[in-house]
Amino acid sequence: MSIADSGDQSVSLDIASAAAGRGPLAMEAISISKDFRLSRSQTLHAVREVSFGLYRGAVVALVGESGSGKSTVARLLAGQEPLTAGSIMLDGAPIDISTHGAFRRYKSAVQLVFQDPFSSLNPVHTVGYHLERPLRLHQASEKGRLERTGRPGKKEITALLKQVRLTPAEQFLPKYPYELSGGQRQRVSFARALAARPSVLLADEPVSMLDVSIRLEMLGLLDDLRRDFQLALLYITHDIASARYFADEVLVMYAGQIVERGPAEQLTQHPAHPYTQLLVASAPDPDNLGSTLRAGAKRDARAPEGANLAATGCPFSPRCPFADDRCREESPALRRVSPTRAAACWRLEIAAPEVLAGTPSLPDHGGVGT
Amino acid sequence: MSAARGDRAAGLGDAPLSTGQSAMEPVLAIRDFSVVYRTKGGDVRAVDQVNLDLHAGEVVGLVGESGSGKSTLAYGACRLLRAPALITSGSVRYQGRRMATPAEIMQLRPDQLKHLRWREIAIVFQSAMNALNPILSVRDQLLDVIHAHLRISREEAREKAASLLDLVGIPRSRLRSYPHELSGGMRQRVMIAMALATDPEVVIMDEPTTALDVVVQRDILAQIVELKERLNFAILFITHDLSLLLELADRIAVMYAGQLLEIGTGSEIQHEPAHPYTKGLLNSFPSLRGPRRELTGIPGSPPDLRQPPPGCPFLPRCAYGTDDCTHVDMSLARVATSPDPEHVTACPFVLPETPIRSAPAARPATTGHPTDTSALVASAAADGEPSHEELTP
Repeated sequence: MSIADSGDQSVSLDIASAAAGRGPLAMEAISISKDFRLSRSQTLHAVREVSFGLYRGAVVALVGESGSGKSTVARLLAGQEPLTAGSIMLDGAPIDISTHGAFRRYKSAVQLVFQDPFSSLNPVHTVGYHLERPLRLHQASEKGRLERTGRPGKKEITALLKQVRLTPAEQFLPKYPYELSGGQRQRVSFARALAARPSVLLADEPVSMLDVSIRLEMLGLLDDLRRDFQLALLYITHDIASARYFADEVLVMYAGQIVERGPAEQLTQHPAHPYTQLLVASAPDPDNLGSTLRAGAKRDARAPEGANLAATGCPFSPRCPFADDRCREESPALRRVSPTRAAACWRLEIAAPEVLAGTPSLPDHGGVGT
Repeated sequence: MSAARGDRAAGLGDAPLSTGQSAMEPVLAIRDFSVVYRTKGGDVRAVDQVNLDLHAGEVVGLVGESGSGKSTLAYGACRLLRAPALITSGSVRYQGRRMATPAEIMQLRPDQLKHLRWREIAIVFQSAMNALNPILSVRDQLLDVIHAHLRISREEAREKAASLLDLVGIPRSRLRSYPHELSGGMRQRVMIAMALATDPEVVIMDEPTTALDVVVQRDILAQIVELKERLNFAILFITHDLSLLLELADRIAVMYAGQLLEIGTGSEIQHEPAHPYTKGLLNSFPSLRGPRRELTGIPGSPPDLRQPPPGCPFLPRCAYGTDDCTHVDMSLARVATSPDPEHVTACPFVLPETPIRSAPAARPATTGHPTDTSALVASAAADGEPSHEELTP
């Protein structure tokens, strides 16, 4: 077991990504950080030294609560915010978004899908217009110049709609967003992202605004698109259960840091970091009707929420049941616990002895397909 | 306990409204309740002949997708709806401990209604940021409620406001805070504190935790359960998350296209769902524990309620549907295979193990309004795309 020095960057940990088996590396974030200056004296470290890779045809899930920095990571990868530190590689080369043309080429390869299909589509434009524009812009940039005359054919637009299963496509072209249901709007968002023929798709809570009965269908659609287009997919969510089903690798984010990463099934069934354990324990458990909720009713509900992030030490230490003095003083770095898993915690021996002792055998129900 | 509940939704339209068994009478009895929205394109039948009972101290979960009419039902029962909503039929009888005789909410005068709302039936709204007044401090909002509904002195009211925050686990120092200074979870707690200010007997919670993180959501749910057990109010809990209700609710009512399709206990709904829609909902959320199941979801979308299809509204999406379903009686009847007489469903057919048709919506889907988008999707499924999707990578 190698224990990384606290000053060590997590890149050097050399943890094999569970997503790597699916395809070649498409995008890599190397120790990226983002600070927001709130005032002269206050700085918010929204993202701190986050590293991971996205592989073609694989899904990496970024799980965390609101405010943990997961959407900021997506915005950084999409080139919408400048990095404070670190670098992002696309197909092995550092990304270049310095000029207008370069940025457009970058956008052709890396597309973002937003959470809210009600506000991410322009209410005054039709579905057809929403898809025509990216087709025109990005196909032109592929050719190196913007063709002002050539309009993308209706055929291409309807093909896109068919890919996201909005059929009969012709009937959807003249429709405005308000005429569509939430699921249909999100399909249009997917189609718009696909119009650029991206290799990387960053999906920021793509289904959390949708009804439960539709979510699954949409995740299934995303999964099909990932397979059909060999997309490298970053799936950002606060729902760790959907990450279990949908993702190859799960990264758990807390207060701007990745606190745990590993293959989806292993991580969700045997969480190592106390925060991941809390996340897993908080998910509704229908097999244990009522009991956990009612037992949990006794504990002080104030503790988790009222507690602020620690100024020093492990950011989770104020909420952590295992925290000791070291946790409150020194921030732990990601530490390798198995060839594919790592967690940032000083007290893993106590928090998750079975994970440290070796990857616990998973109950034989599928596991992560590689 | 359940045997003594007396008449309930299973009794349906013929349930006598004035029984003498006061002890176990439901605190809120909704009968034949229908609401339409008057629109240019015709009436939208948002709630259609719904019967539902809420007993004292009980948590009834009302689950359904958006547009299924669950909020309309709850707000309609308190007469909180405004035009174009119109209550076309039904009665809602409230029998509280503090009331000598039951009140028929549909016939109350405005002043009586004012007394009933909040004092007897309180609501926790979904979006705490919108429901709280951004320019009033927490204390002022609590005082506002207290003075409007309770006759107590200023000092008592201040003390009451502070003790309400204690109740939901927010430090008293937060009384001076404004809504924007609170986290989402705290705002929702303030909403709960406000609802409990007048010690109501029924609390309607409309998606109180939907916008929150799982961890915070769990803390708030635990708090709600604890408060309910301490103060013994009944909860009508509205959500689209069935997995949450399986843990929380004593009974679950499944709503679809304005109608109740099934009512049963959490365990019955989970292990012996009698309606295909309930079964579909159960197959819609990934579980974190246990073996990885194959998840199917529910293909298609809900019908256009301006022109509801004849018979069962779920038929266009139902994998078990037959031609008989177009003229099925949608009233709730006891599930034949269930030992519990209170487990009721609108589907007269016992669920077989395997679906009759593998690709739903193979039939002419919804009644064809040319601009009806749900019809478009339904026919999309008919176009030959496999509708059942498998999530396992």
